[in-house]
Amino acid sequence: MSNLSATLSLATGALAAEQGALTETANNVANVNTPGYSRKEPQFAENPPVVLGPLTFGTGVSLENTAGIRDPILQLRIQQETGTQGELSAFVDAMQQVQAQFSNQGNDIGTQLSALFSSVNQLSSNPASIPLRQAVLTAASNLASTISTSANNLTAQQSNLDLSVSQAVSQVSTLTQQIAKVNGQIAALQNLHQDASTFIDQRDVLINQLSGLIDVSQIQTESGISLTTSNGTALVAGTQAFALTTQPDASGHQHIFAQGNDITAQLNSGQLGGLLQVRDQKIPSLLSSLDTLAAGISTAFNAANASGFDLNGDVGDNIFVPPPASGQGAAASMAVAITDPALIAASSDGSAGSNGNLANFAAIQSQNVIGGETPSSFYANLIFTVGNDVSNGSAEQQGSQAVLQQLQDQRGSISGVSLDEEASNMVQFQRAYDAAAQVVTTVNQMLETVINMGTT
Amino acid sequence: MSSIRVNPNILPDLLSALQQTRQQEATSTLELATGSRINQPSDDPAGAAALVSNAEQSAQADSFLRSITSINGQLQTADSTLSSVVTALQRAISLGVQGANGTLSNTDRADVAAELTGIQQQLISLANTSYQGEFIFSGTATIQPFLASSSGPSGVTYQGNNGINNVQVGTNYSLAVNQPGSQVFTAPGADVFQSISDLIATLQNNAGSSSINSAVSEVSNAFDHITSQRVFYGNAINQLNAQQNYLNSEKVDLSAAADSIGGADMAATAANLNQSELAVNAELSAMSRIGQTSLFDYLK
Repeated sequence: MSNLSATLSLATGALAAEQGALTETANNVANVNTPGYSRKEPQFAENPPVVLGPLTFGTGVSLENTAGIRDPILQLRIQQETGTQGELSAFVDAMQQVQAQFSNQGNDIGTQLSALFSSVNQLSSNPASIPLRQAVLTAASNLASTISTSANNLTAQQSNLDLSVSQAVSQVSTLTQQIAKVNGQIAALQNLHQDASTFIDQRDVLINQLSGLIDVSQIQTESGISLTTSNGTALVAGTQAFALTTQPDASGHQHIFAQGNDITAQLNSGQLGGLLQVRDQKIPSLLSSLDTLAAGISTAFNAANASGFDLNGDVGDNIFVPPPASGQGAAASMAVAITDPALIAASSDGSAGSNGNLANFAAIQSQNVIGGETPSSFYANLIFTVGNDVSNGSAEQQGSQAVLQQLQDQRGSISGVSLDEEASNMVQFQRAYDAAAQVVTTVNQMLETVINMGTT
Repeated sequence: MSSIRVNPNILPDLLSALQQTRQQEATSTLELATGSRINQPSDDPAGAAALVSNAEQSAQADSFLRSITSINGQLQTADSTLSSVVTALQRAISLGVQGANGTLSNTDRADVAAELTGIQQQLISLANTSYQGEFIFSGTATIQPFLASSSGPSGVTYQGNNGINNVQVGTNYSLAVNQPGSQVFTAPGADVFQSISDLIATLQNNAGSSSINSAVSEVSNAFDHITSQRVFYGNAINQLNAQQNYLNSEKVDLSAAADSIGGADMAATAANLNQSELAVNAELSAMSRIGQTSLFDYLK
């Protein structure tokens, strides 16, 4: 049979358990705005009963180790989507700056191209006119400087992206060190069978940040979580972090190295993925298109000028500085080679008043001289490519944003702290505490009765 | 807890919805301000590319129109010059007919010859008409086309060439803008200067009616030739006018096309803006109420 002191200790245990539960509630309420915090639900468990003969007596309640409420699979999905989001937003940000080179209507390459052909057409109505010849040279020089400015701006932007790459890489190294450290703390606590929830939340936040920067794969191991890039480069193994380093290549662009291996081309998610895609693929391809355009125009105009005679009756020389033989860098170095307007070879018969050769200039506008296309349709395609990249990127970014938001809602519905819920729990724990306290008072009175029984 | 738990923190969702609406608001405002739906290539990549060629065609049409104005001046000058030449030759013919009249004295014939010499000078000066500093009957050689000199039989030497300039006034449409002086004034069998010079000589030499009459018919040939040359300029001017009308209507079409590719639908955009503003207000008022109360507020 049970005794009163056992009942007293049972009630005291209940008081402690309810108080502990209230502490969890307090902690949940305190962390209502903490990023990555997973709410904790107090786990009450009935104590093992005591069996005395035919009777079984309960021995009260105790609070079990409280675990954070989380869904690890959902957490993985959030990390993946954060990586996609990081990649797309870096891509779109960078491409929007690229696009600005091609948006300035009224002063863009297309307008300058039309202006050059217009000036040639004007000259044909009065081929000996020096002011009209000067207008052709001015239009040619405007076109050359617009193309070379665009090319130089793209190169400058590449250098800026380079800076962002270095910064992102050093952030990655900082995060991997922190994750390795937290891994150690989690392992230590779990070895003691203690609650590591706080550190797991912390690690989830850190891995999330890391996913926003670089592609991350998770492997659960004995010593905690190991992180690698998607192609298997180790970032964190248990308590050990592997730092990434950067080294400039021949053209001055930072390449990313992991333990001596160049992994630059293998990164395709997170901020680094987006930055590298613009720096190493989009901008070089645009630069090469501009080179093709610049080289094509320069060569075609030089050839047209060479097929006629200038105002002095001489065979025409180069109008544009001849592009490099490889074509590489043609856009950045595009420039007009002559300053004397008399040197434009308008004449086809050597007479000053002839405009016969200007038809060769005008024909360039409708000839497929730039990569099999006319100058203007080549430029229109370039505009389409840039616009399409930005518009697709933005659409994907918005889609990924919606997915991420939904995942986070889902996480919130599982792990987020609800103040209503906490308030209701608080009332519940308080009532139970009050009741247990009432039991203690009652047992106390009964004990008093028993003691007084002896003295009277 | 078996009931469905909702995400207790919906502020981030509302914030992102608010940002999206603000973005729509900004886009509509920009479209209204520029009148254009395509303010950067990404707004409509295919449309932006189409606008590049539309702008090119429009600039080309503008350029052709400017060329037309410029060469129209030159053609008009040539045409009115030839009209003066025709008048001068008419006068020369009537003087020649007068000179062939047997009742005329030698002195009278000398007077007629003197007047014809004046007409010859006038014709040389007409043939040397220039437009914007360039001689218009010199072919493509812009030096003085006709020089009075005693070396040639007609007393006038052509210094120009036979070059013809073509000016592009439309896509794949070029127009010849000059006739060389050798073709207009000194064509074999219809040489203006030779005919006048021959007429002067027959009159001065009192060569007799039949010789004078044959010299007059020579001038008459030249007259017919100049009249037929004038047709070239008249035709060219007509063609230019037609092309000018075509280009002007093409520009209207191009601008309508540009508008349908990239123009903002002002009414719809204004309505969108209005809607975004309403949505922003609604979202703001929702956000200001969210999370204000919880069960804690009701516990005493």
